[in-house]
Amino acid sequence: MSTIYGTSTSAFYERSLMDLTALRKQAEETQAEMSSGQRLQRSSDDPVAASRLRQLARAQTVDQIDGAAADRATSDLTLTDGALTQFANFVTRLQELATQAASSTISDSQRKGIGQEVTQIRENLVALANTRDGAGRALFGGEGSGAAYSLNGAGVAQYDGTLLPGTVSLGDGQTVARGVTGPEFLEFTSGGLPRDLLAVAKDLADALQSGTGGASAANAALNVLKDGLESITTAQTVVGSRLNWIDLNTERRISLSELRTSEQAEVGGNDLTESIARLQNTMLVLEASQASFSKLANLSLFDQIR
Amino acid sequence: MASDLLSIARSGAQAARIGLDVTAQNIANASSEGYIRRSAKMQEVASTGGAYRIGDLSLSGVRLDSITRNADAFRQAEVRRTGSDVARGTAEAAGLSNIESAIEQSGVYDAIVGFESSLQQLTQDPVDTSLRASVIEKARTMVGTFQIAAQEMNAAGEGLQFLASDGVTQVNRIASELARTNTRLSRASDASSDKTALLDQRDKLLQQLSEFGNIGATFAVDGTVAVKLGGTTGLDLVTGGTAVAVGMTTAANGTLSFDVGGSAVTLSGGSLAGQQLALGKLAQLKVDVDGLAEDIVDVFNAAQLTGDDLDGNPGANIFSGTTAATMTLAVSDVRKLATAPLNDAIGSRDASNLTAIRNAISTLNPADGMDQILFDVSGTLAGRNVTLGALQTIAGTAQVALSAQSGVDLDAEAVNLIRYQQAFQASGKVMQVASTIFDTLLGIG
Repeated sequence: MSTIYGTSTSAFYERSLMDLTALRKQAEETQAEMSSGQRLQRSSDDPVAASRLRQLARAQTVDQIDGAAADRATSDLTLTDGALTQFANFVTRLQELATQAASSTISDSQRKGIGQEVTQIRENLVALANTRDGAGRALFGGEGSGAAYSLNGAGVAQYDGTLLPGTVSLGDGQTVARGVTGPEFLEFTSGGLPRDLLAVAKDLADALQSGTGGASAANAALNVLKDGLESITTAQTVVGSRLNWIDLNTERRISLSELRTSEQAEVGGNDLTESIARLQNTMLVLEASQASFSKLANLSLFDQIR
Repeated sequence: MASDLLSIARSGAQAARIGLDVTAQNIANASSEGYIRRSAKMQEVASTGGAYRIGDLSLSGVRLDSITRNADAFRQAEVRRTGSDVARGTAEAAGLSNIESAIEQSGVYDAIVGFESSLQQLTQDPVDTSLRASVIEKARTMVGTFQIAAQEMNAAGEGLQFLASDGVTQVNRIASELARTNTRLSRASDASSDKTALLDQRDKLLQQLSEFGNIGATFAVDGTVAVKLGGTTGLDLVTGGTAVAVGMTTAANGTLSFDVGGSAVTLSGGSLAGQQLALGKLAQLKVDVDGLAEDIVDVFNAAQLTGDDLDGNPGANIFSGTTAATMTLAVSDVRKLATAPLNDAIGSRDASNLTAIRNAISTLNPADGMDQILFDVSGTLAGRNVTLGALQTIAGTAQVALSAQSGVDLDAEAVNLIRYQQAFQASGKVMQVASTIFDTLLGIG
């Protein structure tokens, strides 16, 4: 504030009022910062920082969605992994049964009995291929909304889903396939020919139950089943690496989120120690101004004239 | 003519009384607004002798020459000019602050981000009706906040227009009062207390007028003032005893223009100029917000068309409207979101059109657009606040400088009080001496 000599009484009061008001306003601003914990009360306090804070808050919202998506993909893939393990178990059991059936020491009627069990297992395989995920969609049906497999009139299983599994966005342009489709692991090549596990199981069951030629069919099926098991374990490896990919992305997301939070605190947060010191300073000056004002205001020549 | 001791003393006592009166008046008005310190100017009454009587002593005492107003025209002009700037800055900052609140507090930005993120969430399972419902509800929220923003901006604009219209009324009132004051000033006799009071009133009115618009004032010898609105190169507002009416026109987009007697005038200071500036900014921001709302409507609806909804029908328009105020949600059926590609199986989880919608929205980037609008208004306001702070300091200094020079200093008045009291007592003593001399003369006989 400028100093003017030879002042008038009203000028003195006016100037004191201006100074005291400015100090009080400053103190109140600091107080508002402290009580809200935010340096910015409104955008115009610091437009650049406010804009940055808006962007950070936006990224935070998107990040939460990405987190939810990652959780969902993880649960889908874990379900897939579990289902694949069961597939593998069933195929192993099929291998055992085929080995038994291939032996020449058992009779055709015994093979028929084995064939019934194979039929059961094959039904289980179809049911397993129609597993639903957490949201009630076909786990192996890709992006179709109905069941993945259906049986036609001849009892042959056919795939009704889409070619590719859906993908889930993990943020920053990274995606992950939410699972595997049925054909991706149920269809494989064996002995140079394309094979379908569900068809192989059906053919085996039919051959064993037909009574003749069951031993050679079982013998032939052994190799095919071996390749089928391999196809399933390969799919499990793929699922496992996808889960790893999600973990990797989650870690990245979390570290980015931490960076964001610290930037938020830096840009928009309020340093309590600094604010308290500033408030103390302002209050001290304010008190001194008030004291000197009351002293000066009492200083009237009229008091001295008697 | 010879001197008369008694009448000299009488004139001295009278002058001292006047001095005391003026001092008392100053003390009484120490805190009156627009009061300018008076001082009594005394002059000796003496005459030289007539023809052949050059050596005569002819003293007749003292008389009041004039009551001086200690006004400094330059400082007064500075107070008017800087006050005008502060009024402009204050009005503009207040208007912008309301506009900022209107846009920021309506929560449009958060609603847009919410809408975007709900679309992203839908990618997890495009046929999930609860996720679809979330998209529709977030869209509803966004539409609602756009409407709120539009309403609040209109309210802020109406408030500014009301203030400006009241300001014009005040300008016309002050101008006619100034014209009346001019008429009375031209009739008042010199140095009368009537005239000084009129001059005080004139200066006070000029200062009030400068709060509303920047003015140029030219003073005549008789104390009358000619006022131009819009600075020294502006249009005549008050000339002598006549005042020209000031008018205000509101354009369709809410911006203001002013005229003096029908001729357009440009104001660069005063609250009217501030309100004009704020309304200009508001009109621009309205166009921006309306444009953003319209873009969202157009882009989203266009992207809907390239896909099929949950029932296998081609996507319908989800939004309608062309401005923030008229933007509405045309469809609230969650099945109507066209997430699947055209002619895909009914109920397909294929999210390729959802991806297309999200790509279209992310190319438009409405959240960024809103951020820029918010940055625009808050940046402008922050800049104005800095300017306003500087203007207030300048104006405060000018005001203090004026009141330091023209205001009443009670200490100085206390001194004057004693001085005139002593002068009065001394004149009384002179009377006593005159009486004693007279008695002495009588005693001779």
